[in-house]
Amino acid sequence: MRKYTVQVARALVYTGLTLAVATLLILGAGASPLQCAGVFIRGIFGSLNGFAEVLVKAAPLMLAGLGISIGFRSGFFNIGAEGQMYMGAIAATVVAMWPVQMPSWIHVTLAMAAAFLAGGLWAFIPGILKAKFGISEIINTLMLNYIAFDLTGILIRGVLQDSTDYLPQSPALGPELAGILAPTRLHAGFLLALLMVLAVWWLMEHTPTGFELQVVGSNKRAARCLGINVMKSIVIASCLGGGLAGIAGAGELLGIQHRLLEGLVGGSGYTAILVALLGRNNPWGVLAASIGFAALQVGANTMQRQMGIPAAIVSILTGFIVILLLCDALILKLIEKRKVEGAA
Amino acid sequence: MEQIFTLAFLTSFLSAAVSTAIPLAYASMGEIYSEKAGILNIGLEANMLAGAFCSFAVAYTSGSLWMGLLGGIVGGLAVCMLHAFISVRLAQNQTICGIALNIFLLGISSYFLKILVSNNPAFPQVATFPKLAIPGLSAIPLIGEALFNQNILVYILYLLIGISHVLLKHTQWGNSLTAVGEHPRAADTVGIRVYRTQYLAAAINGMLGGMSGAYMVLAQLGVFTENMTAGRGYIALAVVIFGRREPIRAALAALLFGAAECMQFRMQALGIDLPAQFMNMLPYLITMIALLGSIGKQRDPESLGKPYIRDAR
Repeated sequence: MRKYTVQVARALVYTGLTLAVATLLILGAGASPLQCAGVFIRGIFGSLNGFAEVLVKAAPLMLAGLGISIGFRSGFFNIGAEGQMYMGAIAATVVAMWPVQMPSWIHVTLAMAAAFLAGGLWAFIPGILKAKFGISEIINTLMLNYIAFDLTGILIRGVLQDSTDYLPQSPALGPELAGILAPTRLHAGFLLALLMVLAVWWLMEHTPTGFELQVVGSNKRAARCLGINVMKSIVIASCLGGGLAGIAGAGELLGIQHRLLEGLVGGSGYTAILVALLGRNNPWGVLAASIGFAALQVGANTMQRQMGIPAAIVSILTGFIVILLLCDALILKLIEKRKVEGAA
Repeated sequence: MEQIFTLAFLTSFLSAAVSTAIPLAYASMGEIYSEKAGILNIGLEANMLAGAFCSFAVAYTSGSLWMGLLGGIVGGLAVCMLHAFISVRLAQNQTICGIALNIFLLGISSYFLKILVSNNPAFPQVATFPKLAIPGLSAIPLIGEALFNQNILVYILYLLIGISHVLLKHTQWGNSLTAVGEHPRAADTVGIRVYRTQYLAAAINGMLGGMSGAYMVLAQLGVFTENMTAGRGYIALAVVIFGRREPIRAALAALLFGAAECMQFRMQALGIDLPAQFMNMLPYLITMIALLGSIGKQRDPESLGKPYIRDAR
C-alpha cells in the first residue's frame, strides 16, 4: 500500500513538472497553454492521418530502440544507432537500385535483409574491438555515426546519385514497403517493428542466448564462471542491435522517403537511446516509449504549424524528461522525506 | 597548381586552421580534466551550446564582450555541474546524461533564440574581439600571422594549455586527479576527496566548454545560430582521444582537425577532386585508427565512466 502511494506521487511529480515546463515554454512563445493543449491533442487524435503519423514516427524509434536495449542489457553501450541506420539505408538503396526483374515483395525483403546485414556489420566493428581488445565502444560507435553520415554524403554525390538531376540524392527507388492504411503514410515497416518487439522479447526471456546475454550484461565474471563465452555474447549483442537499427534506417528509406538523402535519419538514432532508457530496456517498454516520443513529435509539429510554437519544444521536453528520470533517486528521496514529515 | 601553394595561401590557410581549432582545443582541454577524474562527459556539445548562447545573450544585452565571455563561462559551468551532480552524486549513467543534455540544450538554445529574434526587427548581432598582433612574433613568416595575430581568447588559450600541462603532469593535484580516475577507492583511502575532485574537474570542464562556445560567438561569428556547434563537441571528444588526454598533444590534435575542416573549402582551389565529406570524415577515421594503435599501450583511466559509490562494498 505504502509503495503504491509512492508510485502515484512519483508519477504525479513527473507529469506535473513536465506539464509545468511545457506551459512555461508555451507562455514564453506568447500563446495560450489551454488552446495549445487542444491543438496538441487534436493533432494526435483529431484525424486518422495524425494518428497514423504517430505510428509512422514510432517505427524507427522502436526498431533502433530495441537494438540499443539488447546492447544495454548485455553490457554493450551502443550509441551508434544513428550510423547503423544510415548504413542500413545505404545497403537497402544499393539492393533496391539493382536492376533485376523480380516480384516487388522479394526485392523489398532482400533490401531489408541487406540493411540488417549492413547495420549489423557496422556494429560488429566496435563490438569486436570491445570484445577482443577492450576498447570502449562509446567513442567508437560515436565516430562510426559520423563516418556513416559522411559516407552517405559521398555516395549520394557519387555512385548512388540520381543521374537525371544535380541534387545530392539517390534516384527514386522502385521497391517499397507497402502502405497498410490507405490515405496515410503508415507502411509495413510498423508491423515489422511490432514483430521485432515480440522477437526480442522471446529472444531475451525465453532462449538460452538471451539468458547468456543478460548474465554477461549484469556480471561478466559470473558469466565466465558459468562457462559463457563473453566475447561471443558481446559480438552477438552488438550485431543484433546494429541489424535492428539497420532495418530502422531501411524502413525510413523504403517506407517514407523512397530516396537516400542526407537527412534521412536526422538524429532519431540518438532519440532511440533515450527510448531504450525510458522503456527500461524492456521490449514492451520500448514499444510504449517510442509511441510516446512519436506522439510528442506529432503533437508539437501541429502546435508549430497552427500556433507558431517553436518545434524545439520537442527536444527540450525530451531532454527534460530523461534528466528527470536520471534524478529519479532524488525525487523518490524527496517524496519519502515528505511522507515521513507528514506522518510525524 | 604550383602557384596556389604560395606563401600567401599557406599563411591564410594556417590562420584559418588555428581559428577553427580554438573551440576544439578549449572544449577538449576541459574534457581532459573531466576524463582524468573518471567522468566521461559526452555532453560537450551541450556545454558549448550553453556557452555560445549565454555569451551571445549577455554580450547583446550588456553591450560588453567581457561580460559576454563571463556569461558563456557561467552557462557552460551550469550545464556541466548538472551533469556532474547526476553522475557523481546520483551515480547515474554518464553517457545517457550527456546525450540528454545535448538534446535539451539544442532545444532550449533554439527556443530562446527564436524568442530573441521575434522581438527584434533586425537579426541581433554582437561585436567580436579584435585581432591583436604581438609585435615581433607576428612578423615571423608563415606561422607568425596564424599564431600571433589572433584575438585575446587565443592567447588566453595558449596560457591555459601551458598551465594545464604543468598542473596535470607536475603537481600533486594532477596526481590526485589521476588517482581518482584510476582507482577512486584507493584515492579515498589515502585521503583524497574523491567527490570534491570530480566536481572540481567538472567545473573546469564546464568553464572551458563555455569558453569554447563563447569563442565561436564572440571571436568568430558575432551571432548565435541554431545548432551552431554542429557536432564540434563530438569532434572535441575525438581530439581528447587522439591527444591521449595530454593538453599539448590535444592542442596539436585540435589543430590537425581544424586544418582538416579548413581544407574542405580549399580543395577545389587546389584541384583535388574529392567530396568535402571525405575531409569531414577524416578526424573520426584517424581517431578510430589511433584507438586501434593504442591497443596494449595507452588505455583509458580505469574508472572512466563508472560512478564511485562510497558506501558500496
